[in-house]
Amino acid sequence: MSVLTVDNIVKNYGDKRAVNQLSFEVQEGEIYGLLGANGAGKTTTMRMVLGLILPDEGDIRYRGKAYSKEQLSMLGYLPEERGMYPKLKVSDQIIYLAELRGMSRKDADKNLKYWLERFQVPEYYNKKVEELSKGNQQKIQFIAAVIHKPKIVIMDEAFSGLDPVNVELLKSTVKELRDEGTSIVFSTHRMEHVEELCRNITIMHRSNPVLQGSIKDIKKKFPQERIVLASDGAIEGLDGISGVKQVVRHEHGGYELKVDSPYAGQKILQHALAQGPITRFEIMEPTLNEIFIKTVGEHNE
Amino acid sequence: MNSLWTVMSFTMRTKLRNKAFLITTAVLAILLVVVGNLPTLLSKLDSDKATKVGYVQGVHDELIQGLTAFYAGQEKPQVQLIGGASEDALKDSLEDGDIKGFVTFADNPTVGFPDATYHAKSSLNSGTAQSITVGLQVVKNQIVLKELNPSEEQLKLLTATVTVSQEQVRFTNDAGKTPEEEGTAIGLTYVLIILLFMAVMITGQLIATEITAEKSSRVMEIIVTSVSPLKQMFGKILGTFIVGIVQMVVLVGALVLNLAQQNNLDALKDMGVDLGAIDPKLIAFAVFFYLTGFFLYATLFAAVGSIVSRTEDLGQAILPITMLTLAGFYIAVFGISQPESSVVTICSYVPFFAPFLMFLRIGLTEPSVWEVLLSVGILLASIIVIGWISAKIYRTGVLMYGKRPSLKELFKAMKAYKV
Repeated sequence: MSVLTVDNIVKNYGDKRAVNQLSFEVQEGEIYGLLGANGAGKTTTMRMVLGLILPDEGDIRYRGKAYSKEQLSMLGYLPEERGMYPKLKVSDQIIYLAELRGMSRKDADKNLKYWLERFQVPEYYNKKVEELSKGNQQKIQFIAAVIHKPKIVIMDEAFSGLDPVNVELLKSTVKELRDEGTSIVFSTHRMEHVEELCRNITIMHRSNPVLQGSIKDIKKKFPQERIVLASDGAIEGLDGISGVKQVVRHEHGGYELKVDSPYAGQKILQHALAQGPITRFEIMEPTLNEIFIKTVGEHNE
Repeated sequence: MNSLWTVMSFTMRTKLRNKAFLITTAVLAILLVVVGNLPTLLSKLDSDKATKVGYVQGVHDELIQGLTAFYAGQEKPQVQLIGGASEDALKDSLEDGDIKGFVTFADNPTVGFPDATYHAKSSLNSGTAQSITVGLQVVKNQIVLKELNPSEEQLKLLTATVTVSQEQVRFTNDAGKTPEEEGTAIGLTYVLIILLFMAVMITGQLIATEITAEKSSRVMEIIVTSVSPLKQMFGKILGTFIVGIVQMVVLVGALVLNLAQQNNLDALKDMGVDLGAIDPKLIAFAVFFYLTGFFLYATLFAAVGSIVSRTEDLGQAILPITMLTLAGFYIAVFGISQPESSVVTICSYVPFFAPFLMFLRIGLTEPSVWEVLLSVGILLASIIVIGWISAKIYRTGVLMYGKRPSLKELFKAMKAYKV
């Protein structure tokens, strides 16, 4: 049984439709990607999942049950806009937020210490939030979202504003949560994170879900039309091969070719081998980034 | 219930740990300790030293003799007369500070008694001039009486003062208030209305500021996903309320403990204020109206705080409520001299003014029981209604960001959020 079921929800703000007939399911231990340009309806969807606002039509079920006060303690939320009490000590506010989710003070304190240790910042326990850097505030915010061991975590732009080292740290933590069985609804503009973490995604555009399914299936729907080729020497006459639309030569050696079908790849490989040894040849599947731009761009017109 | 308590205790803990709050309370408490000892200090300052007043020697000697005799007869002479050679010499010693002022006389043929002028550095200190007026009046009477030579009985009748004592009419069985009790009641009512006003304003603004701060720092988003907005709002209000009560107890305690010292009580009694004459019923009503006033305005402040996204916009947004409390406060202050006026009577049924004005009427007049009940009933009913509306606004407001929404936008949003 899926942990979170969103069934055909519709939300109107006045005359404007913010979310139109969106459905998806999140399984236990799955990270679900919710993608879309700014204003596509992601935050509204998340707010409905969190029970802050009710959908006009359709419904949302948590382990098959409708929303109720009991669900609050199994939800965790990492909002897009970071929010903490700037003047309060880290320990005070995290424990407060955990208590609101139904944890005891003692457990909250223990978990907080564990998480601070985990992020290698145990000295922040007694620091005020305003004394921390933005990236470190982010870590504290992350702890606030997961400290009560929620079953479902909603993460809105989880990794924005972090340096690469900290992104890796948080990413591995998110994976860990997933492996422990937590279901995560994840929104970001960084497609490489989605590719790495999510099994299924929904791309929303102007309130409508325009592309849904597993990343694998989605990628299959889009033709492979990019080929990467590299050799020690130069390769001549690549743009003369039929099916090749464009050839880009990279500065550090190697070529990137746009083709109209993956079958052109065989001809390219033969052509290249005839001129010398090849160090790299790959028919690339489309990146999510390309798919996103293509999907959202198409619907934009 | 559990999370309500969590919000409450969190609100109290953060507030009570706040340095600015602690310092303000301490400073206010010290100030009130001083105020509490003011009666003794004032009576010490009003020391027995007589004001030195000069006069020109050799002119109007009979008046000076009469005045000297008058002051000699006083238990604590207010004025000590010092002779000087001439007006200029007196001016010099006034400049040197040897005397506080001097009197001169000018004949007034129409009355047949000289007019006196009191010269001093400042014309504000009229106490001495008044004392001299009284003294001269006595001297004049004595001179006239000496000429008339009345019998002992006539003299006695003439000097006997007419007494007019006041008593307030009570329609219940209690005895009416004596003027002394009445004076104490006016003073107490005045003090309590000021306290009420300050408590409502300060705690109300505190609540609004905190809610807006939570919104602008976006903690609100996490909080409203953990606990229902209603619980959060009332937790915040109750928490702030308890902090406010603690602060009040500390402050009022500092004042009362010091006032209750015997030397202060005696000094107050000399000024005509008898703390023992305070009606405990009045204190009970003060507490009751503080509670109702607080909750009425606190929910309003919470609602307004929830629709504002930035603390900078808050002042403007709470202006209408501030005006409302100010209006109630000023009607009450003006009503102290005319507690029977119809403005006060009518306004004491308006829920926003009732905490101030019904309290004023109870303190100073004798409203009938049904009047009190009606006013309190309207007040309680509106607390419930306003609390309910505020909770709705709050639920919508905390999720709205950006510019302050108009009423229309707010209603639209309320519909959209289905609250």
